[in-house]
Formats: sequence, C-alpha cells, structure tokens
Amino acid sequence: MSGANTHTVGLAPDEDAARVAAEAPDPALGLISWRRVALLYAGGLFLAALPFSLLSGDLFWVNLFTYTYLFAGLAVAWNVIAGFGGQFSLGHGVFFAVGAYTTVRLYLGWQLSPWLGILPGAAACALIGPLIFLPTFRLKGSFFAIATLAFNEVALVMSNYMESITGGPRGLQVPFRAGVANMIFTNPRAYTLLAFGFMALALGVVVVLMRSRLGYYLLAVREDEDAARAAGISVTGVKLRATAISAGLTALGGGLFAMYVRTIDPLTLFSLPDIGVKFALLTLIGGMGTITGPVLGAFLIVPLEGYFRAALGGAGPGVHLILLGLVMVLAALFMRRGITGALDAAWQRWRHARPK
Amino acid sequence: MDSLLHVLVVGLLLGGIYGLVSLGLNLIFGVIRIVNFAHGELVMLAMYGAYVCYATLGLDPYVSVLIVVPALFVVGVLMHRLVLQPLHAESSMQIFATFGLLILFQNAVLALTRGEGYSVPSKLAATTFEVGDIRVTMSRLVIFVALTLAAIALHVFLKRTRIGKSIRAVTQDRQAARLMGINVERTFTITFGIGAALAGLAGALLAPIYTLSPGIGGNFILAAFAVVVLGGLGSVAGAYFGGMIVGLVEAFAGFYIDPELKQAIWFVIFLAVLVVRPTGLFGQAGAEDVGFREQT
Amino acid sequence: MLQFKGFRALAAGVIAAAFATVAVAQAPLKIGAINPYSGPLALYGDEVARGYQLAVDEKNAKGGVLGRKVELVRGDAGNPQQGIAAVDQLASRDNVDLFIGTYISAVSNAASDAAQRYNKIYWDTNAVAAELTERGLPNFIRVGPNASNFADMSVRAVIEQIAPALGKQPKDLTVWIEHEDSIYGKSIGDIQKKLLDSKGVKVLGQGAHNFRAADLTDVVLRVKKANPDVWLMTGYVPDGNLLHKTAREQGFKPPVILMVGTGDTNETLDAVGADYLEGAMVVSYPRPDISEKFGPGAAAYLAAYRKAFNREPVAPQGLTAYTGMRILLETIEAAGSTDVDKVRAAAAKLDKPLNTYPSGFGVKFDDKFQNTRAIFTVIQWQGGKQVTVFPPEARGPGVALKNVPRKQ
Repeated sequence: MSGANTHTVGLAPDEDAARVAAEAPDPALGLISWRRVALLYAGGLFLAALPFSLLSGDLFWVNLFTYTYLFAGLAVAWNVIAGFGGQFSLGHGVFFAVGAYTTVRLYLGWQLSPWLGILPGAAACALIGPLIFLPTFRLKGSFFAIATLAFNEVALVMSNYMESITGGPRGLQVPFRAGVANMIFTNPRAYTLLAFGFMALALGVVVVLMRSRLGYYLLAVREDEDAARAAGISVTGVKLRATAISAGLTALGGGLFAMYVRTIDPLTLFSLPDIGVKFALLTLIGGMGTITGPVLGAFLIVPLEGYFRAALGGAGPGVHLILLGLVMVLAALFMRRGITGALDAAWQRWRHARPK
Repeated sequence: MDSLLHVLVVGLLLGGIYGLVSLGLNLIFGVIRIVNFAHGELVMLAMYGAYVCYATLGLDPYVSVLIVVPALFVVGVLMHRLVLQPLHAESSMQIFATFGLLILFQNAVLALTRGEGYSVPSKLAATTFEVGDIRVTMSRLVIFVALTLAAIALHVFLKRTRIGKSIRAVTQDRQAARLMGINVERTFTITFGIGAALAGLAGALLAPIYTLSPGIGGNFILAAFAVVVLGGLGSVAGAYFGGMIVGLVEAFAGFYIDPELKQAIWFVIFLAVLVVRPTGLFGQAGAEDVGFREQT
Repeated sequence: MLQFKGFRALAAGVIAAAFATVAVAQAPLKIGAINPYSGPLALYGDEVARGYQLAVDEKNAKGGVLGRKVELVRGDAGNPQQGIAAVDQLASRDNVDLFIGTYISAVSNAASDAAQRYNKIYWDTNAVAAELTERGLPNFIRVGPNASNFADMSVRAVIEQIAPALGKQPKDLTVWIEHEDSIYGKSIGDIQKKLLDSKGVKVLGQGAHNFRAADLTDVVLRVKKANPDVWLMTGYVPDGNLLHKTAREQGFKPPVILMVGTGDTNETLDAVGADYLEGAMVVSYPRPDISEKFGPGAAAYLAAYRKAFNREPVAPQGLTAYTGMRILLETIEAAGSTDVDKVRAAAAKLDKPLNTYPSGFGVKFDDKFQNTRAIFTVIQWQGGKQVTVFPPEARGPGVALKNVPRKQ
C-alpha cells in the first residue's frame, strides 16, 4: 500500500514525524494534536457542505447530494475494514440490507420511529457481522473478496425466499406520512442534511478510531499480520472489532437509505454495481486507506453518474454509462493512487517548487 | 435411480460450462494475480463476435471459433497493455479499472445492439442423442469436450513450451524470473491474452445455448470466481474439477431441493470449503498469500 | 380626451392580454416520460416512449391540448433510485406539467411517490404490479392493465379456449405454473394459482426460477415429470428462451404452452424457430393485428409507426403506451388543466366501453384509479407470425386456432 514501508508509528522525533506526515497520504493521526484534528475535521465538513449549500435551490442536485453524502459515509465505513484493515470486502451489501430491512420492518410493524429503528439493525450487524466474516478472515485479498461476494449472493436469494420477513421479491414500501418522528420529510433538503450528518458521524468515528490504539493495531495488521501477531496483537480480535464498526455504520446508512427511497427490495439492496461493489469503487478511486479518500471518491463518482444519466440517459441506451466507464478507466490510469494520491502528489510538487 | 443419473449428467455438463468460462480467469488470476472483473464481459464480447460472424458471414458458431478466439487474444493483449500493465503496482486500482472496463464493454454493446436479444443458431448444437433414458445435447457435450481438450492443451503448453515455462517461472517467483532474463511484463501480457482467448472460446461455444444480452457476462462471473477460488489458484486441474463440483452441486440442489435456492446452496458450500481449506481444493500451499500486499 | 385615453388604455389592455394568452398558449405542455432508456430493458423503454411520441405528434397535428403544443421529455430510470432522480430532474429543471410511464413497476412505485411531493400527476400506462394502485397514492392513475389482468387473461384462455380445444372439462385439466422469481413473475404466478384453484383446474405444481440462471434443466425435468396438459410460463426473454431450448432438448412437449408477458417477439422466434413455436400462445399486450372492431385504429397505428420510425414495431407495449397517452391527453382536455385534482376528477368521470381505443381498451377507473377496461390479448404463433386468437372478438378475419394439442 502507499507509503507502507515508511510508517514509523509514534516513536520518531519531530523531523521524521514531519517527513512521514508529509509523505504518506494520510499520516498516522496520532502525530497531530486533537485540536488540529478537530479543526481539520470541521474544515473538511465545511468544504463538503459547500457545494450543497450553493446548489440547494435545484432539487435535482439536492437529490444527488443526498446520495453523495450517504455513499460517502458508506464508503468511509467500508474503508475501515477494507482500506485500514486490509480486508477487501464485497459483502457489505448484506449489512446495508439488514439495516434497511430492520428499520422499515420496525417502522411498519411496530411504528417504531426510524431514529430509533436504525439502531437495532446497526447493533445486529456490529455483533453478528464480525461473526459471519470470522471464518473467512484467514483468506487473503481476492479470496476474501470473492468469499464476501458469496455472502451477498446468498443473502439475495434468502431475501427473495423469506417473504414473511423481507416481503420477498415485492420488498417493503413505506407510505409517505410526513413527520420528523417518522423520518419522512416534505422538504427533500432535510434528507440531505440527514445524509450529511451520517457522513459526519462516519468520518468522526474513523478519525477517533485511527487515533486510538485499535487504529494502530489495525494498520499494523494490514501491513504485516505475522509481525503484528508476533508483537502481541490479537489479529482476529482487531479484525473483529473493525468489522463491527464498519458493519454497524453501514447498517445505519442502509436504514437511512430505506427511509429516503421508501421502497426496498432484494434486487435493489443486493445490487452489486449499485451498492455492494459501489462502496469499494468509491473508495478505490478516492484513495484506499485514507480518511478523506472515500469522501472524495463519492464526490467524484456519484454526481458524475447522476449528471451523465440526466444529460444523456435519453440519448441512446447505455451512452451515459459508456462515458462513466471511460471516466473510470481514465481516472484509474491518471490517478493511480486515487484522488488523495493525486492531490498529495500535486501538493508535494508545489511544496518542492517553492523556494525554501 | 434414473433421475439420479440424469441429474449427474446435467451437473457434469453444466460444470463443463463453468469450467470453460473459468479456465481463462484462473490463468489470469493465478499468474498475474489480477482480479479481472471484466472477464464475464470478455465472454460476452466473444458471444457477440460469434453473432457477428453468423449475421455477416453466415458462419456456424463452432466455425467462428477460428475468428473469435484470436480476436479475443488481441483484445486481451490490448486490455493488459493499455490499462492493466500501467497499473501493475496498484492492484486495487487495477480492480477499479476492470470495473470501468466492465461498464464500458457492457454499455458499448448495449448502445450498438439496443439490447435486442440475439440468438446464434447452430444445427450441430441443437442435436441431441440419447444414452439410455438420458438426453444429451450436443452443445453442452461440445463444451465439455472443448474444456477437457483446452485444459490438457493448456497444461501441456505450460509444461513444455518456452513461453509456458516462462509463465510458470513468473508465477513462482517474479524477481527470480526477471533475474533469469525473462521479460516479465511481456509474459504477463501474453498470459492475459491467452486468458482472454480462452474466454473467447467459451463465448463462441456458449453462443448457441443462450440468448445474447449485453449483461450476460454477469450471469457467469460469480460462478467463475467461485470455481477459480474453489479449485485453487493457478491450478488447471483446479478449474477443471472445481467447475464440475459447482455444476454438480447446482444440478442436485436444483432438482432435489429447489431451483430457486440452488444458487444460494452452492455458494454456501463454496464458503464452507474455503473455511476448511483456504487454499481451495487443489491450490498449492502459499497460493493463499495473494492480495494487495503483493509487491512487484 | 377621455375617450382617446380610454381607447389607448383599452388597446394596450387588449394587446397585453393578447400577448399574455399567446405567451401562455405558446408554453408547451410538458410531459415527463419515465422509463428505462438505458440498461438491459432499454429496448422496451424506447418502444413505450415511441408509442407516446406517436400519440403526442397526432395530437399536436390537431392543435395540441388546451391550445398548447405537447412536448415529451424523457427521464431515464432503471431502478427506484434513478426513478426519484429522474422525477427531480424533470420537475425542477424541465418543469414538466405531469408524468407518464413506466416499463418497470419498481421505478413507477418510487417515481410516482416522488411526483406526489411535487403535486403532479403520475399517469401509468405500462407498469403491472398490483401494489401501484393498492397504495392509494393521490396522484397515481393507471390506465393500463395490471398483473391481475395478465393472470386473469391467461386463466380465461385456459378455461374458455384451451380446455375446449383439448376436449376437456376444466376439472380434468392439469396445469404447471412456472415463473421467474422476482416480483413480476411471482405476483402473476400467485394469482394464476388462486384463480385456477377456484375454477377446479388441477395445478400440479408451481415452480420459480431465476431468470439469469445458467441452466434450467432441473426446472424442465420437474415439469416433464409432472406431465401437465398446459405449461404456463411467466418470465423474461432469456429464461423463456432457455426453457424452450432445454424443453426441446429434453424431449418435453406439453400439449399446450401458454406464456405470459414475453415470448411473442422475434427474440424468441430466432432462438427456437417457427416449427417449435407453432401453436404456442402468449398473453401479452394487444397487437396491431387485432380486428378493427376490437381495436378501432389499430391498423392506423401500425401505419403511423412504420412511417415515423421506418421499421416494424419492436414489441406490443408500444400500442398500449400510445393508447394510454391518448387517453391522458383527452383527460387533460376534459379537465381543462393539468392540476392533480382536476385531472383526477375528469378521469373519474370517463366512461367509454371496451373496444373504444386502438388497443381494444375502454376506460372506466375504479375507486383506486385502476382502469377496469384495460386488457391483454392472447396471440398464437402461426407460421412464424404472431396472430391474435383470444378473446375471440379480437381475432382478425379468418383467424383460427392451430396445432392445439401440439403434434408430437
């Protein structure tokens, strides 16, 4: 991974720390003070909110931004176990779906306010998700990815089958009854704020995580499992806890998604290109294993896809997706370390160009 | 008892399909360690290639193999050279790129064909013959035979030819191979080309069976990955027998349990096998150490 | 002097009013058409939109609606999320007056819901899921048939046409219900089971399969074992074709094949050939070959389509879409506005008998705003052509049922 071999965690003198902080796309956050982290966090959120506040009059963009923030948060959640933990999961759609189904079922069946209803799904995923992934943890890289893909497929089939719980292929629909307690709003901007809040939460959790000991252990495990184990880190324990956080956050996002779209079915929730793999794609192009990467990836891909569809969707079948595919391939070729990598390289060039 | 034999035959023939689709993927995956998500689309392109040969030249798909397979080899070489080779140091970015290619290929074909479901007929393919009570369709038998021949040919190629040996060397140890004077990058490109060509073979032979659609690659890709992982990376025998196993499980589950659940069932079995044997059934020890930590 | 001033003021007032009405009259009546225009179902989304376009062009040639020219604006959507985005786009940027759609039920569901928040009508011509009118959404009106109609018509065909052709009483007839496992196939399959049971027909089994499955031999072997008189199939083109091919390979030749929804286009003809299909029936949207008495103007539609697009219709959904759009435009005129309440009120008053429109529809909405006079018809493959055979009134001159039971 980028900058892997230059990580000297926490013990370097100031100079080395500064160099490390400059070279790696996301320095080990433990080297910066809490205050600076908080400033960066707030500043980042402000920047993220800017485009929405500028375009909040146009409902088309409002809708796109809701998805952008939501998927940014979901990608951030995914990144916890994938980018930071090194376990490339393509099965996060399962957590997403559990969150969605639980929230809607509790609302429809027990009139439980979704503000509370999103929690049980998140808790369930935080507890059970790691257990499901546990047997597959010793699989590396692509093997793990494909195993998690299998989870997604099994869950899809089961969701279609277990009609009494999931509504089967018909899925579940939430009728429009506006009310803050229902998490159903007449003003679509409220959803954008909600999604923004989710993204902020996910980012906050990740920032705190990566400054904590668990965060260090996670990085250590990602770099070299055997060395980490030799250093006394419980590799499985670390992965389990990271998965719990990742799964729980993803389920929260799933619940919010369900209350926004208000119609969920297996084909939508378990769709790999739209959900399960999308988390990975956004993070990949943004920059794996970085805090801001997933957000940047979401800001690139989600609006672009939406815009292409709106502008070209009627032009001819598949035209807008041809364009998207091209953009993706070119982005991969020209931003090999993701957007964060490209930004970082630009920053380095600018720094070195400045007279000392 | 009759049913049992029948389902067995169905399963083996289905396994032939899965195996043939996975053969190329297995090679790419095992040698170059690239997760080629666009592999299903290579098969799809080959199917449409067979259609074009039929529509413009009136060729039977089994004859169009002679055109489609080399064409796909070229596509594979270009794909690797232009997109994947430049990203060889960033394996996660390669994945992203293959996804971009997936979307690109699917929608390019969609735009050209407007999504109409083409069929490629073949007189030979449709003939069936009976073995006792069981009917065997030529189209599936051809695939089974082709898979067996291709697997043997691949095995011989890897063992006996110079290129084949370079491929094996590069698989075992890239640095050492480079030190021995092997052009690693070129070997990779050729390997990818061969993998794509095998996908081409699968596509051309599958064309008579299915109704073509731009998204048909997606029907096979998951099974193909499962077969590759189950069979064990880089093992030709693995892809061969892995495919059989998946085909048999699917056929038995479909007939005896429920066609609706058969996909879930073999996925569960796949997961179970991985838990017990992370290297896959035929994988070499150490083949499990594949992933994004791989340094070139 | 007052007179002069007054005259000026009057003249100014008249001119201003004239400009105002001209300006208003010039503002086109925009209709947002939401369908999949990309993705695997683009073919059908396109066809539906073509149907709309023909109706719109016809109306514009006659002076438009309420003095305004009608303009169709496309919104591409292949899943519910995209449906919502399309509505947002069409409502806020293109300022459409109302919506029409939609080839995919799930999209219609989400899009109509989104349209409700803009307080605009969602006029559905082609989505069949029952839930759409069960929801009670105040802006949703379905002028086309629904899944129950599909199931209804297939069961009617079994009882009124197939049973007699086989020389059997319904209670002696055996049927196998096969369907793809998403909401589309499942809802139709479930209703078919219920109706057939109520008529005393023996349902030997109900099977579900994934329409993308690589192999359907297990499905075919199951049906073959059951050996029904009638094989009911509901699905899409890929699985339907594979089932037919597999059935042929496995030597399964049921006396009657009745497909629902698909199997009536060249995609199937090319896949299995005219010989195999001879006699197979498909419940689908009415086709232009229906008798003029059954569907007045059907032939004119066909001619208009050929002229405008230089090809044969791709799928029968177009005729239904065309009819649906025509009824919408009439309703807007009757309402005198595109306002949701006014359009609904006008729609509720409509009462035209079956066989009024080119697709054979009439119009009478029930209290859930489902058109009770929207129907499907049954075609039979005869000599490689799709010929309407049921209901009997829909048959063209000289048309008769062929090859029932199928020659073994």
